[in-house]
Amino acid sequence: MTGTKQEPLLPAGYEDLEPFVDYWAGEDGQVRWDRRASADMAKIKIFYDAMLPRAKEALLYLNELDIGNLPGPETRLFRLTLSLAHAAMAIEVHGQPRALHAPFPHSIKLVKGPDIFA
Amino acid sequence: MNQHSNFVGGEQASLTVQAGLSTRPVPMEPYRSPEYYQLEIDRVFKRAWLMMCRVEELPQPNSYVVKEIECCNMSVLISRQNNGDIKSFHNVCPHRGNQVALDERGTASRFSCRYHSWTFANDGRLLGVPDETSFFSLDKSKCGLTPIATEVWEGFVFINLAPVPEVSLTEFLGEFGEHMKGIHYIAADHPIVVAGELKCNWKVVSDAFSEAYHIPAIHPRTLGPTFASKSDPFAHLLGAKLFGPHQSSMQPRNVEYMPRETSHVELMGQTLSPSSSAISTADSSVMEKYLDHPAVRPKDIPTWGIGINNVFPNSQIDFGLGGFFTHYFWPLSYNRTRYEGRFYMVRPTNAIQRFRMEEHIARISEIMLEDLNNVERTQKGLESRAKDFMQLQDNEIAIRHNIDTIEKWVRSETVRDALA
Repeated sequence: MTGTKQEPLLPAGYEDLEPFVDYWAGEDGQVRWDRRASADMAKIKIFYDAMLPRAKEALLYLNELDIGNLPGPETRLFRLTLSLAHAAMAIEVHGQPRALHAPFPHSIKLVKGPDIFA
Repeated sequence: MNQHSNFVGGEQASLTVQAGLSTRPVPMEPYRSPEYYQLEIDRVFKRAWLMMCRVEELPQPNSYVVKEIECCNMSVLISRQNNGDIKSFHNVCPHRGNQVALDERGTASRFSCRYHSWTFANDGRLLGVPDETSFFSLDKSKCGLTPIATEVWEGFVFINLAPVPEVSLTEFLGEFGEHMKGIHYIAADHPIVVAGELKCNWKVVSDAFSEAYHIPAIHPRTLGPTFASKSDPFAHLLGAKLFGPHQSSMQPRNVEYMPRETSHVELMGQTLSPSSSAISTADSSVMEKYLDHPAVRPKDIPTWGIGINNVFPNSQIDFGLGGFFTHYFWPLSYNRTRYEGRFYMVRPTNAIQRFRMEEHIARISEIMLEDLNNVERTQKGLESRAKDFMQLQDNEIAIRHNIDTIEKWVRSETVRDALA
């Protein structure tokens, strides 16, 4: 996925995170959860290591905006930070991509996420 | 026999004994017998009041939802009338039995059956029959949608599948209904919904949500540290109270919980939003009105963490520091269950709150998965018939009470006998 002159992939200053947009900027919680669960630890760690140091700054920036009405680049940046919450489950909690002894695929789905910013 | 005592717990006589329950091992047969399952469907699900949804799922006049009750082969159409009342009907066309409303939810004052376009008002009356003159003395007033008894308690919609329910919802809920009256249900119009189908008996799932004993073993990192502390490693129940077929119990939390040093994302979230926590999403100031109710957070128990309220037969209304959540355990067969969890969370107003919500959802999702394979393994073990009895401990009182109550309903000729 590449940006255009009219609309970059991510806001200015976050160009280094562009390679992660394709996989890690999932459009809703179920997709973001599923993508992390489907990735191997190496892939998750690369994303986690790149995203963690930028997340606080990104959230403070996004916090000044209307999350119900974000422009494209900011939407994608926000999705990346939300994916960090899922990556953290693997890196900080399980020590592996998915919960121990949990089957994959499985039938449990997030069928309805938050109303504000899917 | 109803218990009228206050909550008891701690080092005194066990909760189980004080509640008047036996301490004997509990039979496994109800979890694996297709015959017993059918008895449950006929004697429990077709006679009890069943919790279906919150009123907020029907936000305006003519709102409707369709809920399936697979174990009874029924599809239920629940409709908010023009005057605000909520009515339910069998989603079955009186012509030749087809399904009338085909979608899960919507807004409509009329419904048309797709088969032959018979049209109904949302109060069930048959309004129109195409080619009516070709029928033989069709009495339209007798051909409306079959109504289902429906009552609302504290914003929860209940139905009763008996054509003429023996008791009212008020009588069914009894003192439990009184105990839980007046609670301010925060964010009742904004649930996060998790659902799936599990290869186990519905009671196996219900049991898993009714005790904290499994937390250190099954949820050591996702949940364990937030519940258990050095002084209370098994998060013993703070108390339990039986209300006829229903029951309430309370679990403590670890008030000294701190994220681990390596939990960088959780720590970052905490820094950005100091008044929220790993297991709650909203600022604590927003929650006071909800928490202040004695049935939610008792004033004299500072370690209170979670309130679990089993609404007989198959649902829970639970309270946490961050809000309330409900569980539904719908039987599909003797060893299959449809689970639905609704976690009511205050709508986020900014990016940081929305991020904390994603963290919370991510953690809940992992907790669900840790339970998932576990309940399916349990069912497999039960069906092996290697053992015939469960050994339950005192903090598993809710499990014992649920099984005892189901047995009572299965053996009772009348609902009043079952409630006695």
